[in-house]
Amino acid sequence: MSEIAKDQGAVGDWISEKIFMGMSLSAYFRKLITPFNVIALLILAVGIPLIVQRYIHGLGYVTHGSQNQPFSLFLGWGLFTGVPLAATGFIMASAVYLFGMKEYKSLVRPAVLTGFVGYFFAVTFLLIDLGRPWRLPYPMVHSFGPGSVLFLVAWHVALYLSVQFLEFSPAILEWLEAKRIRKWALAITIGATIFGVILSTLHQSALGALFLLAPGKLHPLWYSPYIPVLFFVSAIYAGLSMVIIESTLVYRFMKDKVDPKNFKTIDDLTIGLGKAASLVLITYFCLKLIGVAHGNHWHLLNSSWGFWFLLEIFGFVLVPCFFFIAGVRKRNVALVKFTAFIAVFGIVFNRIMVSLVASSWSLQHAEFLHGKELLVVVTVVTVEILAYRWIVNRMPVHREHPAFPGGGH
Amino acid sequence: MDTLFDFVTYTKGIEYLIAVAFLVMFIPFWFLATSTRAPQPERAAAAETVGRLEDMVGGFLVPDSVYFHPGHAWARVDDHEPDLVTVGIDDFGQKLVGNIEGIQLPDIGAEVVQGARAWNLRLDGESIGMLSPVDGEVVAVNPDLTLEPEKINRDPFGSGWLLKVRPTRKSANIKGLLSGNFAKRWIDEATSRLMENSEYATGPVLTDAGPSRQGMARTIDAENWDRIVRDFFLVTE
Amino acid sequence: MKINRRGLIKSVFAAGGSAALARPGKAAAGVEHFTGNPDRYGCLTDLTRCVGCRSCEAACNEANGLPKPEVPFDDDSVFEHERRTSEKAYTVVNRYDNVRTDAKPVFRKIQCNHCNEPSCASACLVNAYTKTPEGAVLWNKDLCLGCRMCMLACPFYIPTFEYDKPVPKIQKCNMCHDRTSQGKMPACVEACPMEAIAFGKRSELIKLARERIEKEPDRYIDHIYGEHEVGGTSWMYISGVPFERVGFDEHLGVVPFPQYTRGFLSAVPLVLVIWPALLGGFYLFSERREELDDREKSGKPGERA
Repeated sequence: MSEIAKDQGAVGDWISEKIFMGMSLSAYFRKLITPFNVIALLILAVGIPLIVQRYIHGLGYVTHGSQNQPFSLFLGWGLFTGVPLAATGFIMASAVYLFGMKEYKSLVRPAVLTGFVGYFFAVTFLLIDLGRPWRLPYPMVHSFGPGSVLFLVAWHVALYLSVQFLEFSPAILEWLEAKRIRKWALAITIGATIFGVILSTLHQSALGALFLLAPGKLHPLWYSPYIPVLFFVSAIYAGLSMVIIESTLVYRFMKDKVDPKNFKTIDDLTIGLGKAASLVLITYFCLKLIGVAHGNHWHLLNSSWGFWFLLEIFGFVLVPCFFFIAGVRKRNVALVKFTAFIAVFGIVFNRIMVSLVASSWSLQHAEFLHGKELLVVVTVVTVEILAYRWIVNRMPVHREHPAFPGGGH
Repeated sequence: MDTLFDFVTYTKGIEYLIAVAFLVMFIPFWFLATSTRAPQPERAAAAETVGRLEDMVGGFLVPDSVYFHPGHAWARVDDHEPDLVTVGIDDFGQKLVGNIEGIQLPDIGAEVVQGARAWNLRLDGESIGMLSPVDGEVVAVNPDLTLEPEKINRDPFGSGWLLKVRPTRKSANIKGLLSGNFAKRWIDEATSRLMENSEYATGPVLTDAGPSRQGMARTIDAENWDRIVRDFFLVTE
Repeated sequence: MKINRRGLIKSVFAAGGSAALARPGKAAAGVEHFTGNPDRYGCLTDLTRCVGCRSCEAACNEANGLPKPEVPFDDDSVFEHERRTSEKAYTVVNRYDNVRTDAKPVFRKIQCNHCNEPSCASACLVNAYTKTPEGAVLWNKDLCLGCRMCMLACPFYIPTFEYDKPVPKIQKCNMCHDRTSQGKMPACVEACPMEAIAFGKRSELIKLARERIEKEPDRYIDHIYGEHEVGGTSWMYISGVPFERVGFDEHLGVVPFPQYTRGFLSAVPLVLVIWPALLGGFYLFSERREELDDREKSGKPGERA
């Protein structure tokens, strides 16, 4: 009888320590009432029923249901934008483990987590968008269409999600204090990193390659055989910028979950990331020009679509490139952080253009936004932020677990 | 252009021109982006810095594995060199003085005595002495400090070490030093003493913004900061 | 027809094997040339004969068991707007002004064109589309995930998706594959009172189209739409007015759409094979550099750089 009571006590203690961060239930729930949480709860209260309705009534309940424009924000944002923004993992892991830039080590784990959460919720968006989401495993195990680029994307996202999970598992195992399994998880880091870079190279570019099948539908300024390369290169600076943004937000809003040592180095690291991003941005700018040259589409720049294209490459690629350089040279960390936001916005702009807007340029009637679509997207993004925060609060992501000094890896 | 051949000839030509122009432009671009070398962050590979959440006391690192002298020097026995102790300045001390411009260390072979003056810090035109935590013979000094004395500020328990000493009375010395919870309490008291002296809250501010370049002492009293420092370092000059 | 993993592998080997057998003694050409099944069927729609009676729509609706529409098939009011196929209509007829004579408007029937090299099939990640030997492009309801990639890929905007069903299907014309397998004609072909649609072997239909154009050069535009567009389609058209005026896209080119992704797909195995050595090399290089750095710093004697 006392044994059972002891076990129950042990489980209760474990839950109290790991899940509620050592607080009593009432204290925990009291702490939950913050403005951000209240807004998040409101969003979820509206959004989650919407998502349930989508499964009951069909996809048309939450999208504009167009036969001429099959893709909506769920793929436009969730997949095409979400995936490059989750490129943080493979970039930081290769910088630290493959290129030996050990000074960025404090940023690897958060980057891997951002990547894992990003891909996980990209799959969530897929499950909302697919007509028959229960058949998601089909291209993996049931029927193969190897001539399809989407087949490649499906396989790679599934594999990459697993790789990101494995790369992040040491953090989870430290949280759970599972010493032996953690050792094994650490040993596979280099292999997982290399594999992750291979997968990322392929699927970041594959997302672009999907549009190769729509030469008439995607506006010629964005359509070129170079789309796969453009998507891959832009994913690199998207990842770098997201690392800057993520660390800026966490170091500002979750100070107590960050190792105090890191505050001394983060400014230098941010500058370094900005420097790298500027190099990628100038490269990307040139590649965009080559894309236009390849199809000899210069005359198209002189049109309303041309305006948007020029806005994209000058305002959202060249401008952040030079802002980054200015920030790096003058050691203006605030400028570098601000520029990261511009760069990420540029990515969102580009991906939405390619997947939704510019790919219906020849249609008479084109619709882009459906109110419910936006609501669902906001809901899922809210869940994503909450999940990320939940993990950073409890697991050693930005700090070391006291029982595992040195942070592993 | 009627034929694919004409088209490709023309467009490929333009593409190559753009690519070559890019390569030429890239050289000055590279210098523009990389010339101002930002101070490189420390390579954490050696991971000697013993900084853990639990070791923070009011914003100052007080690692468990280290023995502290009341004059804010420390001594540590390293696993791979059990015959030697490493000696340095503690986190409170380096934050107190701020950016160290130079340091005058004893020569190799020199003798140090616990509680006696062993080295001098140079900053803001002043020379501040500090007391050795142990008795012994100096067998090594940190070579990086001549060029980069700010390493002491950046990593006082790791790459900012000062001396390696072969101790002559190790156990007796250690009895006179503070460690673990005692050390933490002592730093806590030192902090309170410091705060009585100033109007600012020094603790949390320092954690967030990193080491203040001018140090806590100069922030409190720009004129007589050296007296405050010597007070804490238990030296008269 | 369900193609599972084993079936796919078998069919891949079978295709390769029969290709090797079909050309005995032919030296390796080095240039690709795919003819498709030379005996495949097709349809030829003669736009000069269509009067817009919509009997084809009615017949298709009945043959495929589709729900009856709100506006009946003999109602002309549907011609006010240009329609496209929908999940309840595999084929629709649209009306266009005749640029040659005002008197007689031109009608055009849209349905899946059953391309020689279907873009939809190429896009499908679960291989849910099949180009049958008979020419029809079929969709498999047992495999489809509802990703709608085929809808993006189709240059003719044909596949439709049941947005309003919780278990949705892709809907499109299947060239009445069940009927043609039994030796019958597609329902729309049989129903047409003007015999505007001819059904037969694609190669024969091309000859027929050329004959008609030659016999009455004033009546027809000298072009068979679908003969070469997007690599050729099984469903072709001849018309008395320029095709662009009747809703056809004349800028699709002659390249089969699957060709557009081949370049990228061919790079994939290269990355898979080259990256491990390349990245592993970076890793070893940076480890060695760090090792040399450490030796330098601690003053230990080591390898010469």
